[in-house]
Amino acid sequence: MNPPRPQRPGLLRRLGARARTVLRLILHFLHPARFVLAPLLIVLLLAGMLLMFTGGLAYVAPFVYTLF
Amino acid sequence: MACVLGISAHYHDAAAALVVDGRVVAAIQEERLSRIKNDPGLPIAAALACLQFAGIDPGAVDALAFYEEPFAKLERVLVHLLRNLPRTWRLFPRALASQLGSKIWVLDHLSEATGVPRGRVLTCEHHHSHAASAFLVSPYDDAAVLVVDGVGEAHSTTLWHGQGGALRLLASVDFPHSLGLLYAGLTAWLGFPVNEGEYKVMGLAAWGRPHLRDEFSKIVTLHPDGAYELELGCFAHMSDAELGFGPGLERILGPRRPPGRPWDLDDPADRRYADVAATLQAVLEDALLGLAQRARALTGSHNLCLAGGVALNARANARLRREAGFARVFVQPAAGDAGGALGAALIAAQRLGDPRPSALLSAALGLPIDAARGHDVARALGLSVRRLDDPATTTARLIAEDRIVAHARGRFEWGPRALGQRSLLARPRDRNIRERMNRLIKQREPFRPFAPAVLSESTAEYFAADADDMSPFMTTVAPVLDTKRERLAAVTHEDGSARLQTVEATRAPELHAVLTALAAAGEDPIALNTSFNGAGEPIVASSEDALAFFLRHNIDALILEDLLIERPK
Repeated sequence: MNPPRPQRPGLLRRLGARARTVLRLILHFLHPARFVLAPLLIVLLLAGMLLMFTGGLAYVAPFVYTLF
Repeated sequence: MACVLGISAHYHDAAAALVVDGRVVAAIQEERLSRIKNDPGLPIAAALACLQFAGIDPGAVDALAFYEEPFAKLERVLVHLLRNLPRTWRLFPRALASQLGSKIWVLDHLSEATGVPRGRVLTCEHHHSHAASAFLVSPYDDAAVLVVDGVGEAHSTTLWHGQGGALRLLASVDFPHSLGLLYAGLTAWLGFPVNEGEYKVMGLAAWGRPHLRDEFSKIVTLHPDGAYELELGCFAHMSDAELGFGPGLERILGPRRPPGRPWDLDDPADRRYADVAATLQAVLEDALLGLAQRARALTGSHNLCLAGGVALNARANARLRREAGFARVFVQPAAGDAGGALGAALIAAQRLGDPRPSALLSAALGLPIDAARGHDVARALGLSVRRLDDPATTTARLIAEDRIVAHARGRFEWGPRALGQRSLLARPRDRNIRERMNRLIKQREPFRPFAPAVLSESTAEYFAADADDMSPFMTTVAPVLDTKRERLAAVTHEDGSARLQTVEATRAPELHAVLTALAAAGEDPIALNTSFNGAGEPIVASSEDALAFFLRHNIDALILEDLLIERPK
């Protein structure tokens, strides 16, 4: 029998956590060697936020770990 | 002193491991609880089960360590998608939806689902997690550590030097070159499912001849310093998530084998596929040998630890033990991605000041059987239940009567091998028991072997090997003595080897008692030991799982701790 799951944090706390993750991601890609990826990342982040609010997408394939 | 939860997830074999005050308290693969084979989802049930088992509240967890760096992975995905344009343009939306829709938020999701505060969630590098999962629970103070898998963030192979509690990276081979993806691509070409069929390729290899070296020299190049390169035209793992091999491979080896077609090793076409598997296995072993010798030269160590999915290749491990120049070799039982959870937990525990744990003696790190619940459910189902004073002796008697016994005692195993806690046991003598096991339960291909469990002190009487650091976890093979092959017909593979488990009372007390009882009854102290699951199912975890299995499959008896549930003869 699986143990009970803890209560999910409220919307504001979750949004705060997501904002911090976005900040960390931007800081990761601010490294000079990764500047070239920055424009792509901005477009992708917008798409990512959209996906996050629409519930995400799950996809499983045998070689998914090499690409996704 | 700290309480650390390690997590691996999102690709295959998601798992959680709990380390408390530098001691490995619990380690569970999510598939055992979710009942989804190779479950890649976030292992929330496994994580909470670890905490519940230890009686720890999520708020008391000092750190939750994820086994890889999501942003570094995203970076590699972006770079490779861009580098392989225009072939990858179709993949862009799916790849990025997957990364940005869930994977980069993994640390937030873990925090929210487990109740561990977000500020205590941290990450470790994928291959570092693997290396730690092997070295930090090995019995060695100084060892070379070789990690070989499909790919982590960027590395697909790494060499480390472990000393005391520290690991130092010495060399690496990076994606898209990868021995794990070489094996996976050929697994797909042979018509087996990737991430599951690699064991089948290893089993098939014993039926073929490794005479296709010239062909394989066009697929992978091995360098004298241990490095290697794939001929990328033969593979598709840079641009295709489904197949793994490219048209170049079919130009060299011919058309792929259709998935699902029954095997007939008397058919010349299938014999050739077996030859491909045998050559692949030989080339993989050569590559690993080159890497291990390089590791030996770089570290000067006499001990070797192996980790990563490729370290589950028991035949290759045995060859490394024989030929790589190391005195001792250790493979942690969950060497694949599940093991990353353990490694990440151990790294984080060290960062918090905890000591290195003692050597891992037993893989029984899962949840125990609830015998009382099993009793109630069995009675409610109208099954005949009997309480035993001496379950081991009864189990041995049933095995000696050529009956198949499902054996569920103690905490379930960590890793893909059943090591006596959740095993199907049978007499190893008669080849027919293999057919019966396959027909009733396993439905495996005919070329796949079954493994023996032997009393550790009797190993040399039956096998041309002694117990070593790998054999308790069934991660190596040994030749069966010529004089014993007839007696061990059900567990001797086509090439005369067996993937043996040596059993000691300190490591697997329940199975040790069964083998001891077999010896006392005048039988060989050996049992055929295969995992307690049906085709395509995860290994049984709870008493309910065991009873459901008993009802679905026509096995003779089920031992649930001290309960015997028998089918009428």
